Amino acid sequence: MKKILLIIICLLLLTGCWDERQFKNIKLVMTMGFDQGEDGGIIETVSIPTVNRGTEGQTEERVQVLSTWARTPLEGRDFVDQSIAESFDPAKLRVVVIGEELAKENIYSVLDEFYRNPTNNLNAHLAIAKGRASDVLSYQNISDTMISEYISGVLEGAVASTHATGENIQLICAELFEPGEDFSLPILAVDEEKQLIKYDGMALFHEEQYSGVDIPMKLSTMFMLMQGIKGRVAHLTKKVSDEHEDERYNYVTVNVRGHKRKADISVHKDTVSVDLNLSLKVRVVEYPSDHLQEKRTIDELDEKLSETLTKDAQKVVSLMQEANSDIWAIGRQVKAYYPEVYKELDWAETFPEIEIKPSVKVEVIQHGIIH
Amino acid sequence: MGFFKRLLFGDHKRLHDRESSDPDKEPEHPSSTKLSVNIDYLMHEFHRTSDLRIRILEKGQAALVYMESLVDQEKIHEMIFKPLELGDVEHISDIPNSKVTLNMEEAIQTLLRGHALYMEDGLRGVYQFRVTSSFNRSIEEPANEKVVRGSHDGFVENLMININLLRKRIENRNLTVKYYRLGKKTNNNIALVYIDGVTDPSLIQEIEYRLKYISADMIHSPGYVEEFIEDQTFSPFPQMLNTERPDRVTANLIEGRVAIMSEGSPTVLIAPSTFFSFYQSSDDYNMRWFTGTFVRLIRLASFIIAVCMPAFYIAVVSFHFEVIPNELVMPVKQSINGIAYPPLIEALVMVVIIELIREAGIRLPQPIGQTIGIVGGLVIGDAVVRAGLVSNLMVIVVALTAIASFVVPSNEMSTTLRLLTFPLILLAGTLGFIGITFGFMMILIHMTRLESFGVPYTSPIAPLRIKDLKDTFIRMPIYRMNNRPKDSRAVDKEVIGPSREWKQLERTNNEQQPAGSQEASQQASSESNQSSD
Repeated sequence: MKKILLIIICLLLLTGCWDERQFKNIKLVMTMGFDQGEDGGIIETVSIPTVNRGTEGQTEERVQVLSTWARTPLEGRDFVDQSIAESFDPAKLRVVVIGEELAKENIYSVLDEFYRNPTNNLNAHLAIAKGRASDVLSYQNISDTMISEYISGVLEGAVASTHATGENIQLICAELFEPGEDFSLPILAVDEEKQLIKYDGMALFHEEQYSGVDIPMKLSTMFMLMQGIKGRVAHLTKKVSDEHEDERYNYVTVNVRGHKRKADISVHKDTVSVDLNLSLKVRVVEYPSDHLQEKRTIDELDEKLSETLTKDAQKVVSLMQEANSDIWAIGRQVKAYYPEVYKELDWAETFPEIEIKPSVKVEVIQHGIIH
Repeated sequence: MGFFKRLLFGDHKRLHDRESSDPDKEPEHPSSTKLSVNIDYLMHEFHRTSDLRIRILEKGQAALVYMESLVDQEKIHEMIFKPLELGDVEHISDIPNSKVTLNMEEAIQTLLRGHALYMEDGLRGVYQFRVTSSFNRSIEEPANEKVVRGSHDGFVENLMININLLRKRIENRNLTVKYYRLGKKTNNNIALVYIDGVTDPSLIQEIEYRLKYISADMIHSPGYVEEFIEDQTFSPFPQMLNTERPDRVTANLIEGRVAIMSEGSPTVLIAPSTFFSFYQSSDDYNMRWFTGTFVRLIRLASFIIAVCMPAFYIAVVSFHFEVIPNELVMPVKQSINGIAYPPLIEALVMVVIIELIREAGIRLPQPIGQTIGIVGGLVIGDAVVRAGLVSNLMVIVVALTAIASFVVPSNEMSTTLRLLTFPLILLAGTLGFIGITFGFMMILIHMTRLESFGVPYTSPIAPLRIKDLKDTFIRMPIYRMNNRPKDSRAVDKEVIGPSREWKQLERTNNEQQPAGSQEASQQASSESNQSSD
């Protein structure tokens, strides 16, 4: 009995908390940015919020932004660690921003460490900075003190309004390694005039590299719908007539209620062609010229919208092919269903050449409570 | 198991010894015809105690002996002297309501029970009159087992009154009470109550055996009895239910359990008890069953909260802060940033403070007790956070834990829960979630190994019996609990026969009605005519 007690006491007191990580003794890194540095290195920028508790419950929040040159991300982390009090911990990382220049080379080299170490937060949003990531991170905004909150808020907003896919480090992992499938990441740009960080379209990737081609903001909703992704709301604003003098009367805004996407891949010998049929059930949320109670108006609207949106879809497809970014994973499907054909083809070279015919069919199902 | 072990490998010599000192064969000392001899014997046996009163009557020819502190002077006058004065009887020895004995030892026993002895020179017989005085408080509701609805009486310190309360609730010839005299020096009266024909006879035998095995100078309270007869003393979990409520005892008796009562204490022990019986309250059965179920679930959730919450918090802030939701990261960080001590020490300090406040509050008189509560809870709590000794999150966590531990209807279980918090806090502080997992595993293993008088402690979960789950996590409507739970070891299974079948009858009647409605209405009208006639 005595011996057991002694052993238990020894176990508790001598081993005591050896793998403890006190939450109060760490510096949380909420945002990280990577940029291309000199001599093949990178510049790592981190934002570290510090809170100090006042006596009367008031808190003082300060965000510290540090930049350092290093050869690899982990080395950069060590360098940062040397210049901050307490220790660096990325366990609650919210956003990783990668500079345009670095992304064009290869993004996997900076992400490797995140996949390898278990304490990293794989839920962190991933975004591409137009220009340099350090500019995005060191940006001082007025409303939100925490840059991580601000950026992740911007990105989450983009997801909710069907502008971005909401990729995080974990989600792009498979697509990074898979040859027949690519991905896109949201772009963040600093608006110097208006003092804002804003979402600015989607950056198309080919394998591990940023292709340099973007889906602009006005096409990004269509781009998402064509992937079969819809956020909480999906607004499409289109010009449907030229009759009215007042320009605003020529536009309609619809909210997509339901969407059905079907991609038919057909292979003849070694030519691959894709038909993408997208049918959207929409609700008219803004249409000043009205007369929606008449079936004829609605039919016209359906037709007009289908036509313009098909054009948009074609633009999206041409951008994708230009970037050689196989977002719809056509390559993978070809590989799965026509392995012989796929073996013959060099997919990276084939994809820009294949024929992709998108067609969008719009049906107005609701027109709001006005009549 | 323990029973057989002791039977097979136990100290048989001791068993033998005990038989010779059986209460049935009491020592005898015959009374003498000489009054002085008898008086001398009594005086000697009582070591000339000052409260032994000897009243010499009839010019030294007779004596009335009684314990001054045990008798009621009024009763003596009423029973012994009034008949004489009224001339109903010639002699005290002629008074009919007396008991005669020739054994002085028996006389001593009755004297100690508060009887008066009348002895006469030349007569061997000792006349005993029952003139006991007793002081009873009223049968108020026990303070620690209050209910909102339902009966508001409670047991008192008098065994007779307690049994009376039970007998009034169970008017049944099968309600059996067995007395045992325990405590070699104190000679306490212990009663074993059960319903014959419902309770398993082997259970009664077992309890009887264990009770008779006790040899102690004093049986001070049911707590003593509990520790002598329970299966596992080295367990934090109570294995017998303590209650002061007659309705709770009644319900348990009907379920086929056994109640152990003792003179001088309002607490009744109920055996066998399972873990879930500590979470049942009389209130549950007075509510609608939805509400009853809801309250039951909250109580069982309180078990988890009370045992785990501080441990979980410590594990989170010192090992696994990844699990903190994004929105909470900064508030949590801000609250614990400036704290000097590790969370483990923080938690231990807070939990100990809460226990101190509780303990201080219990012992003090009511008005001061409240002050302690306010000083402890509000002032210390606030000041400790402001001083930066303890984080305000820790205060929240510990306060919630304390509240959760008081939710349990049974006081013993509540203390058990508070005790179990400590090892889990230590484990969480050294090993994080793994520590909690191990701790909980050990608690569960221990619980499943426990037995209360041959009934698995975690029944009906650990030996799973879905039928008996009706009265555990949930409380089904009472008419659905038509069989006694197996964990009471009852012999008679059915407790509720068809009781709500009128509902079905009504429905079938209503279905038949439309066909013969005209006839029925005609009949009804003719009947009403007749009655009006």
